[in-house]
Order: sequence, then C-alpha cells, then structure tokens
Amino acid sequence: MREKFARWDSLFALYLKRDWKKIIVWILGVGLFSAGFVSAFEEIAKGQGLAGMYETLKNPAMIAMVGPTPVETAADYTLGAMYAHEMLLFCGLFAMIMSVLHVVSHTRKEEDLGLTELVRSFQIGRQANSLASMIETIVINALLALFIGGVMMSFGADTISAEGSLLFGASIGFAGIVGAGIALVMAQIMPSSSSATGSALGIVGLLYIVRAGTDVSNVDLSIINPLSWTYLTYPFTENNWIPLIFALIFSVIAVIVAFSLEGARDMGAGYLPEREGRGNAKKSLLSVRGLFTKINKGVMIGWLVAFVIMGVAYGSIYGDMQTFLESNEMMKQMFSQSGVSIEESFTGTIMMVMIVLVSILPIVIVNKLFTEESRLHLSQIYATKVTRGQLYWTSIGLAVFSGLAGILLAASSLGGTAISVMGDSATMDIVDFLTAGYNFLPSVLFFTGLAALALGWVPKLGKLVYFYLGYSFALNYFGGILDLPEWFSKTAIQSWIPQMPMDNFDAPIFITMTVISIALMVIGYLGYSRRDMVEGA
Amino acid sequence: MVEKVINLKGLKKKFGKFQALNDVTFSVNAGEVIGFIGPNGAGKSTTIRTLLGIIRRDDGHAEIFGKDVWKDSIEIHKRISYVPGDVSLWGSLTGGEIIDLFIKLHGGGDKQKRDYLIKRFELDPKKKAKGYSKGNRQKVGLIAALSVDSDLYIFDEPTSGLDPLMEAVFQEEVEKIKEAGKAILLSSHILSEVERLADKVVIIRQGEIVETGTLDELRHLTRTTVTLATEGNVAEISEVNGVYDFEQSDNQATFSADNQYLNDILLAATNLGVKKFEAVPPTLEDLFMRHYEG
Repeated sequence: MREKFARWDSLFALYLKRDWKKIIVWILGVGLFSAGFVSAFEEIAKGQGLAGMYETLKNPAMIAMVGPTPVETAADYTLGAMYAHEMLLFCGLFAMIMSVLHVVSHTRKEEDLGLTELVRSFQIGRQANSLASMIETIVINALLALFIGGVMMSFGADTISAEGSLLFGASIGFAGIVGAGIALVMAQIMPSSSSATGSALGIVGLLYIVRAGTDVSNVDLSIINPLSWTYLTYPFTENNWIPLIFALIFSVIAVIVAFSLEGARDMGAGYLPEREGRGNAKKSLLSVRGLFTKINKGVMIGWLVAFVIMGVAYGSIYGDMQTFLESNEMMKQMFSQSGVSIEESFTGTIMMVMIVLVSILPIVIVNKLFTEESRLHLSQIYATKVTRGQLYWTSIGLAVFSGLAGILLAASSLGGTAISVMGDSATMDIVDFLTAGYNFLPSVLFFTGLAALALGWVPKLGKLVYFYLGYSFALNYFGGILDLPEWFSKTAIQSWIPQMPMDNFDAPIFITMTVISIALMVIGYLGYSRRDMVEGA
Repeated sequence: MVEKVINLKGLKKKFGKFQALNDVTFSVNAGEVIGFIGPNGAGKSTTIRTLLGIIRRDDGHAEIFGKDVWKDSIEIHKRISYVPGDVSLWGSLTGGEIIDLFIKLHGGGDKQKRDYLIKRFELDPKKKAKGYSKGNRQKVGLIAALSVDSDLYIFDEPTSGLDPLMEAVFQEEVEKIKEAGKAILLSSHILSEVERLADKVVIIRQGEIVETGTLDELRHLTRTTVTLATEGNVAEISEVNGVYDFEQSDNQATFSADNQYLNDILLAATNLGVKKFEAVPPTLEDLFMRHYEG
C-alpha cells in the first residue's frame, strides 16, 4: 500500500508550487463570485424587493433554474434566504466544474501527454500522482470554503449569520470535492483525457437537469442528487449540515473506487475502448457548407439552447410582473413607461436585451473563419477549386441563418412562456413576440456586417466587434436609468430601432439598416477576396 | 517545345518592412521534379503560397500552366495538388473524413487509390485528428493530395514528422507520379530526398534564387573531395593550383579540389606514383553548405 503512494507528498508540494498562481485566481474568482454580491442583493432587497423576488422565484421555471427555497411565506424571505436561494446552486456548479477540469488535467491529461511516464520512472508510487492531485483539490476547496465564509461574514448583514456563512462556503467547497471525485473516477474509466473531461462534465450537466425535474415535482427526491447537496443545506434559514455528510461519504467512496480502478489498469488505457470514428465522411460533410456547419455545430447548439433558457427565464416573470417591477425602484425605471401596459414595455426592453445577446452568435461564426485561417486549417483547401467567395459567403450565410434562428428561439420561448404563465390575462399573442423580435433583425445583421468587414480588411480587429456589442448592450440596458443625451444613446445601434410592441414599426429604418448591413458584408468580401491569407506567418 | 508548368520571373513580396521575396525566378517544365531548397525563412513557403494564390505578389511575373497565379487561381487549382509543411486538422473529425473532404473539395479523386494509400502509409482513418501525431497529420495531407489526379504536385516539406520507413513510401509514390510524367515542386531540407527525386535543384537564400540547375551542373561548380596516397612525398600536391583544405597523415592526404584543375592535380600525382586515388563528388549537402556559409 505504501509502495503505491510513495512520495506523493513531494508531488503534492511540487503541485502547490507549480499551481499557486492558478490557485489564487481560482479561490479569488470563485470565492468573490460566490460571496461578493451581498451589497448588490441588499440593494435588490430594499422596499418590497424581497417579497417581489420571492413571488418571482416561486414559479416552476425559476425553481428549475436556481433551485427551491424552504421559506414558505414572503415575510420570512430574508436577505440571507434570497442570497442562498439564488446563488448557491450556481456557485456550487462553478466549483464543481473547476475541480473536474483541474483533476483531469493533473491526472489523465498528464498521462496522455507522457508526463506521467517520466514521473513514474523516478522513485514515485504508481498512484502517488492521483493522490497528490486529489489532496491538492481538496485543500483548494477547503480554502475556498473558508474564504467564502469569511467574506460573507465581513459584510455584517443582519440575516447573514456566521454559521450560515460557513455552511454556505462549505456547501460550495464540498461541491468542488464531489466534482473532483467524479472526475477522478471518469479519468480511470474513459479512454482519453478529453473524453474523461467530457463525461465528467456531462454527468454534472445531467445532475443539474435531473434536479431541475425533482425540485419542481418533489423536492424530497432531490436529496439523492449529489448536486443538490449544495443548496439543500439551506444556509441562513434551516442551516442543515446533513447533506454535507452525504457529500463526504460520496467523495470517500468515489476516491476509493477510483483508486482501485486505477490500480488495475495500464497507464494510458481506460476501461472503455476508444470510440471508433468514421473511416469515411458522410455526404453531408463533403462541401464547404457541410464543413463549416460541422465545425460550428457545438457553439451554435450551445448558444441556441442558451437563448431558449434565457427566453424561458424572462418569460416566466410575466405572471407576477406587477409585483416584480413595483418592488424595486431601479427595475421600475428600467422597464416601465407611461401609456403602455407594463407587460408591453417590459417586452420591448427585454427583447432588445435578448437580441443583443443573439447577435453574439453570428459574430462568433464570422470570426471563426479567421480563426480557421490563422490555425492553418484551410491551407490545403485554398489550393482546391474552392473560391474565396465560397468560404466567405458560406460563413456569412451560416451567421445570418444562426441570427434568424436565434431570434426565433429567443422570441418564441419568451412569448410561449409568458403567454402560458399569464394564462387568461394574456394581452399579447405569440405573433406580437415574434414581430418584436424580428423587428431587431437589422441590428443582428449590422453586427454580422461589422464582423464581416473586419474579416475582409483587418481580421485582427474582429474581436473589437464584441466590444462594440458590449458597449451597445450597456448603453441600452442602463440607458433608461442614466438619462443620457439623445446623440449619445444613438451611438448604440439598437437605439435607432423602435421598441415594439410599445412603439410602432419603422419600415424606413428597418430597410436602411438592412441595406447598410448588406453593404458592409459586400465591402468585407472585396477585402477578403484581395488580401493575403494570414497563415500564422 | 516543352510546356512550362511553372514560370516565375522577378517575383517580389514584402511583409511590412520585411522583404520576403526579392527576386525569385525559375521555371518548371512538364515531367520535371524540381527540388526547392533553402533554410527556414529563406522564402520557400512564401514562394509556394504566392504560387497558390494564398498571398498576392507585389511585383514580377508568375504563371502556372500559362495562367496568372492570382487572377486564374481557381482554374489552376483544378489541376494541382498541394500539401503544406504543417498539416493542421480539425480535431473533431477523423483522418478518413478529412481525406474525403479534401478529395471532394478538390473535385473528386480515386477512391481505390485513397484506400490503397491509407494502407501504404499505415494510417488509422477512424481516429479523430486530435489524437494524431505530427507525422500522422502529414500523412492525411499526403494521402489526400496523392489520391487526386493532377498535373502539378506541390509539396512543402512533405515528410517532416514522418519516420524513415514512411519517408521511403512517400518517395516511392512520388517516383510513380514522376514516371507518369507529372511535374513536381518539392520543397525540402532533407537533401538526400531531393537528391534522390529531383531532376533539377533551385536554391533560395534570403528571398533570392542563388543557384539553379541539374545536380550535375551544380556539382561542376563546386569542389570534389579527393583522397590520395602516393609513393613520393604527397605534400608536394598542396602546392598545386586548385587544391584546398589540404590535410596529410603519413603519405596519404585528403583535400578538396576545384574540378577545373583536376587534370593538373592528376599529372602532379602521377609524378609521385599513385597508390590510391578516390574522388567523391560533392553531395547536395556540400553544395548547400557552400551557399549558406560562404
């Protein structure tokens, strides 16, 4: 037994030395994200804020996203209760993902890279590396837990007790340790480090979805879900430490299982065979469009799913819109306007916000062509009969298509959810939502055009388009509060478009912006067809 | 009159302030294999990228099949195959998928040839490209390029990362296309490979072509290494014109000799009574070093 883990301690010391910068960023990053928003939440809690938030988060769609609360009346919904309710699940998820990535990268990835081979040639036990990595991850999560607890206490808020703060931190720390355990097991089973990371993150994702189901239908069932052991501790309200005991037992078992699996396998091998890929390409891949669709598929699906979730999340607010918006002075300023119903004015604003986010995807796809170029992926393709025009316009086409699909999904999921939660009192139908969404199409096209322009002439500046998007977003989102001069808010492209349904459709603006966007794409093409390909050189 | 497949005259290209190509002039005829050699950064890849229309020349004349390499690039590409020096692939696709894709985008190739080449190069086509080593990635590029029927093949350091066995397979396959009368531009710094395959050598240095010709012609320009043992005092040879780097041990000497003075050297040696005479023609490596050190 000794033999197996010989000198793990020197590896452990080495890791701390090697990783100390990463560890600091990790603890500060996750820690401040988890504990640092107390003042912001105090702001939200002012006036009727707590009650409003309580009503909003009570509906099933929100529970599916952020989890349940043990509080049964709005009156008992304290600042601490709200903080734990809204933050704990996500922070736990965060800690888990960080630990998964860290453990796999120190164990299986090093094996794949051949580093383990080198290390084992010294007087170091066969399983010392796994033990050292695991202990390092546990230490990091323990420090993280203490840090979070300390920061939360330091705010000195009434309902954020010392015990609750420590429990809040410990729940996040344990989530990290559970994630590390899952990762260590998968690192033994899977045939390569990337499949180990993928499957471990897949399990975490699955746990999240399963708990969304059980939280909504029957919270008692959630207790068997390792991910639920975070928020089920209910810090600041019930302060229940028992789920953490489950987490401890789970982690110990996972580590034991992982070590016995590792002891019985060869270095570099897993228990599952490497999945064989295709020896021949499918017909659908064999074209520029097929190729670009394939290489953008992951990011496209990811974003489109995000748009749906976003639509559902915002849509679920419609049921208690009145309470939600009246509860908070800031919200009221952002979303209300005289003369129109509160639902309509909220739709106008939120639709613009969502379409700004939808614009990210086309920019990503257009910029991807330059990434491919500088990674030399296309070198051999340049020497075929594929024209530069085909490469360019296929990318632009895919970008525009994803913009159209993004608007459809965002607007219809917002509308669908809104209509279902409003029930009989619904004043808008799905067409209103879709029109409001597609009304912003020119702004999506405009960002696509800007990215295309950069791609054609100065591809290195493609990333700047995100900055302009972020700027427009900030201006639009907070513009209502800040009371900016007209010319200044017009520097954000969306400000030119009227917000439907509270304003009327403006055809000349719609057409002009569309034409300008198409012109940008054409000008971009002129550059792309003339310039040197970068090819890393 | 032989058809000129590649015709370059006074090619110039600047990247910012850096003059990458200063005056590149050479031509490739149908059925010829040209070895394009030079150290890293001399402008080999830049020349090739210009030929492929990936980058645009600043000045000069560049034609393939009598067509302008920039304006008519697509017409030209229908008849050429290219393998870059650093084949970079999509990690999520398998080697087989990528080969099929390249062949298809080229306009179709020989399915049987593809399968045959995969076997010859011992590539596992079902593996995702992210798991491939440098050599295996190179194989993917080579198989795709060799599976299509072209009139001109451009290889930019094609065997980097391949093991000697696979290098030999590559050389055999190139000999086959050579026999079929296709033109090949082979950029390489593996000189033995160029020596074996090339009819003509083009040497580039700092963006300029410094030497062009058949290996024999080039050898003529340089010195032969001679080992000589004589009955008389061999040291006398060191006085003869055209003898350099003279080194003597007992009555045996090794020196390099200018080819034009070989006759004088032989006459002098005969006077001393020749016991042993060995003359080794310069290798490409010697030629190469001469250009880069001198």
